[in-house]
Amino acid sequence: MKTEFLALVASAALLAISSGCGTAPGSAPQSSQAAAAVDASQYKLTEEPDGAVGVIAAREATDDGDPVVLVGRVGGSEQPWVDGRAAFTLLDASMSVVAEGEDSGEGEICAGDCCATERLHCTTLVKIVNSQGQLVKIDSRELLGLKVSDMVVVKGTVKKDENGNFVMLASGVYNRNE
Amino acid sequence: MLGQRLLPWDYGVRNLLRRPSRSALTLGGLTIVVLLVLVVVGFIRGLEQSLAATGNPRVVLVYALSSTAAIENSSIPGRTPALLAASVRGVRRQYGVECVSPELYLGTRITTANMTEPGMGLVRGVTTVAPLVRGQVQLVEGNWPQAGEVIVGRLAHSKIGAGKADLAIGQQVTFDTQSWTISGRFNAAGSAFESEIWAPLSELQTALKRQDLSLVAVAMDSPDGAADVDLFCRERIDLELKAISESSYYAAMQKHYRPVRMLGWVVVALVAGSGIFAGLNTMYGAVVGRIRELATLQTLGFRRRAILLTLIQEATLLSCAGALVACFVGLVFVDGTAVRFTMGAFMLSVDSVGIAIACGVAALLGIVGALPPALKAMRQPVVEAIKSI
Repeated sequence: MKTEFLALVASAALLAISSGCGTAPGSAPQSSQAAAAVDASQYKLTEEPDGAVGVIAAREATDDGDPVVLVGRVGGSEQPWVDGRAAFTLLDASMSVVAEGEDSGEGEICAGDCCATERLHCTTLVKIVNSQGQLVKIDSRELLGLKVSDMVVVKGTVKKDENGNFVMLASGVYNRNE
Repeated sequence: MLGQRLLPWDYGVRNLLRRPSRSALTLGGLTIVVLLVLVVVGFIRGLEQSLAATGNPRVVLVYALSSTAAIENSSIPGRTPALLAASVRGVRRQYGVECVSPELYLGTRITTANMTEPGMGLVRGVTTVAPLVRGQVQLVEGNWPQAGEVIVGRLAHSKIGAGKADLAIGQQVTFDTQSWTISGRFNAAGSAFESEIWAPLSELQTALKRQDLSLVAVAMDSPDGAADVDLFCRERIDLELKAISESSYYAAMQKHYRPVRMLGWVVVALVAGSGIFAGLNTMYGAVVGRIRELATLQTLGFRRRAILLTLIQEATLLSCAGALVACFVGLVFVDGTAVRFTMGAFMLSVDSVGIAIACGVAALLGIVGALPPALKAMRQPVVEAIKSI
């Protein structure tokens, strides 16, 4: 009787643990599911493309729809990533980031809000798009394994308007730090 | 046979009643200690609950890039809500209306009829879309404000430093050189909105001679939609906007108030520590006066362990009674008391967590407070103890 009772208690505990703490099948994080469905290798360049220019130069020299190769560092702001989307902020390679609150000189910005206006001129948003030109809905850290401060070379086209908005629609990314 | 037994339960209870004044004083001291713990925990819990209740992961706040995290300093173009609604997919629609709420938010000096000095209050200019986006807000009395009218949150009086009656429906409040009639009162599920005054956006803009907005609150179909608003703001750098989900915004606020919360927990530890020392002192006094009685119990055959247990039982009974009194006082007089802070006002919260912590502290006071003096008394030889005065 005692053994049966103990077995019952053990079964109930196991049931509670499996239902309360476990992850039900099919409830994996949405981004991981999406990442598994997308072939990330198509967005990772195996060789560095030639003719890369910095973000500041590209902002001035290119027009809407121009093909371009950009080089820069991932970062330049406190949050360079767009959560759940293959998009990130690219900082011109000539710029360096100082600690928030420190005085920033020529060619320096901090990652905080105080340098928000300066940041607009030396950074750009990079959006990884698929063959239909749609933004890939997977976090770029997951899709491309990128980290803050990685030096990357991005190949794609420019999206620019008369208001000075400059976005890079990237088809592939080469990570120099890999 | 007697040596194996514990002392009867009612022996300890009767002992407490034999010395009513000492027991009452100890009970009073313990009650105050537990009440202090309850108030400090209530403060921390109230602050946490207020910030947690305000943040909704489906709501995205869009404000000026240059304003850092201070939304009241933000100024964005008046066309931003229309641009957002037209450019971002996944914006929630309710009753045929897109849930995009343009808002003007400011901290200003507010005067009521009975106030001699104006108090700092929070005013939000809103449209009828605001309650669709901020689902916690419920108009509980009166009507939605028309021209020259405002509605007030249930804690707005506390934020301003006015009496509750001063913000009753029909009363007037004055800010920015204009008088406004209160047309209604609202609750917001304990969130920070409850300490605000809401006015019609266009009326407020006219009064302030402003055409811009402070922020736009956008309700999305899913929490994932916050990323699309963020993308829009990063693409349209000419607008100089920044997007953050409301839950992240208030989570950052929680981080901002972490030192206050840490200080609160330190106070809890200090109060509990001082309570234990006070308990030790009282129990030393109580046990020293009973050395002969305790020795007599030993000569009767009761084991030291049994006597020790009865001493702990007495102290724990007293501290638990203190906890009960403190919890009753806390629930009746402390729970719901409004406290003003920079972001508005919140209510002290005597909830299950606070009561559990208070009861735990009380039990600790009883056990830890009784153990050292009881052990000391038990170490004394029976012959010497029985002769002591």
